[in-house]
Amino acid sequence: MVAETIVKIRELTKIYAQGEIQVTALDHITLDIAAGEFLALMGPSGSGKSTLLHIIAGVDRPTSGECLVQGVDVTKLNETQLADWRNQNVGFIFQTFNLIPVLTAAENVELPLLLTQLDRRQRRQQVEMALEVVGLGDRAKHLPRQLSGGQEQRVAIARALVTDPKLIVADEPTGNLDSHSAQEVLTALQSLRRDAGKTIIMVTHDPKAAAFGTRQIHLEKGELSA
Amino acid sequence: MTLPTFIIKNALRNKRRALLSVSSVAVSLFLLVTLQVALRELTLPVESPGAELRVCARNKVSLTNPLPARQRPIIERIPGVEGVTPFTWFGGQYQNEGAMTFAQFAMDPKETRRVFTDFKLSDAELARFQTGKTAAIIGKITADKYHFKAGDHITLNSTVYPGALEFTIAGIFSGTADDRMMLFHQDYLDDSIGTPGLVGMWWLKVKTADDMPRVIAAINQAFANTAAEVRAESERAFQLGFISMLGNIKTLIASISTVVVFTLVLVTASTMSMAVRERFRELAILKALGFRRRELFVFILAESFGLAAAGALLGIGTAYVAYTFGNISKMTHGIFVSFEVTPRIMGLAALVAAVLGVISAVAPALAVARTSVVDGLKTLD
Repeated sequence: MVAETIVKIRELTKIYAQGEIQVTALDHITLDIAAGEFLALMGPSGSGKSTLLHIIAGVDRPTSGECLVQGVDVTKLNETQLADWRNQNVGFIFQTFNLIPVLTAAENVELPLLLTQLDRRQRRQQVEMALEVVGLGDRAKHLPRQLSGGQEQRVAIARALVTDPKLIVADEPTGNLDSHSAQEVLTALQSLRRDAGKTIIMVTHDPKAAAFGTRQIHLEKGELSA
Repeated sequence: MTLPTFIIKNALRNKRRALLSVSSVAVSLFLLVTLQVALRELTLPVESPGAELRVCARNKVSLTNPLPARQRPIIERIPGVEGVTPFTWFGGQYQNEGAMTFAQFAMDPKETRRVFTDFKLSDAELARFQTGKTAAIIGKITADKYHFKAGDHITLNSTVYPGALEFTIAGIFSGTADDRMMLFHQDYLDDSIGTPGLVGMWWLKVKTADDMPRVIAAINQAFANTAAEVRAESERAFQLGFISMLGNIKTLIASISTVVVFTLVLVTASTMSMAVRERFRELAILKALGFRRRELFVFILAESFGLAAAGALLGIGTAYVAYTFGNISKMTHGIFVSFEVTPRIMGLAALVAAVLGVISAVAPALAVARTSVVDGLKTLD
């Protein structure tokens, strides 16, 4: 059976203007990502991998080209539509965890649900479930500063999956972690793909982390390389 | 967790800054209320009972120019006049006080009850006042301030007339709109300065309100084209005329109030800018999670508004409690008798706080709206 294409990118170009100088971050990229893939996006610094991830996730706009995610061309959506779309369709994981320090683990995970129609009880159930998935059910009431780096990143993973998005994007999710914590996080992402059927796009420059993916692609100076 | 909980947790994340910001708003609004109340007290005419039937007649040239004592029988003969008394400014300083802390006027004691119907004074005290040449009656506020009692002897050094006069306190009065002044015998003053036949002004009482315009016109006409032309007017008109002399004070207080409000805006706007600046990255995360610009604006506005509201509650509340239940006369050393924090003044201060909350939120909210998620994520924590 052929897997459905969840991300379809055609001739995607991104040019940054830095004063007089123009920098091409992405140069006519064409790429398909199948549903249920765990794609590792690799490349050196400045290769354009984070830019590509940001455009797929709807937080950045290309200069030209198409980017269809689940059939929706995210480049055509306005700011408000993009915000709603992100909330319903994408889960974010960042390198520096980016948890809100004054909120507990459960409250951080609950944040995206505040934008939904779910009532408080339903939100709590979703949050508990998401924290259980990442093995932090017993850390719900802990503040970020009371958690280890690996635990913080797993809370971030729980936050990314709490709205049950089909697509999860992770920008160097193990960049700030020791090898043991990195292993935990990557295993968690792997099981999300395997057990929950999530599509995961992960930017990394670490080959060991990339090895957890089902496919690896490389970017070099804004172009896909073999 | 709910959105309000999230906003409150964010607002209180730096408790010291939140406390200092609320305190600065509270102190500024307390000051604003104080200035407005003081301005009101200075510019509000004294409404004393019986004022509607009283007329003040002063020298048409200036309040400081005296009037001849011989005018009295002419005024007394005008139909509708019930009582007339001279009212002469003494300008005395008590003991070694560098300034005059309460007003003293020389008058005709026999006319006390007839002209000043609002005085609360026992018959015995009135009798003592009317019979003793050096007798004086003094308002309760001043008596309380200096612990004066009937029978005490006090000496006042005049800043208008040469020398000092000694007085015997015959009684303590109350019930007037301003229970601070002291009244004593015009005869005593005349004797001490060689009977020049001059008085400061005339205070009189008319029989009915209908008599008022006719009596005023008659007095003005009676002394027209004389060496001492008179300007007679109702007590209320006299008070309003007096207040108009405070024009510069009004401008000064209005200027200070404006500066207070402006400073307040700068302080709060700066606080909100700092608070948002250090959370730029988090706000970018919220955007990435699906929060829209208007929701982020509501977060910032609510935080800013909450800060201003807490400060307003504290500042206006403190002013209300202090000025409603405190002893204003004691607090201001007798300069003010009462400080009324009116609903209008509280409303004005609350409005200032509300506008402050909105203005302070605008700049940070615009900065957040303009910043993309990617740029926001690049900012350092």
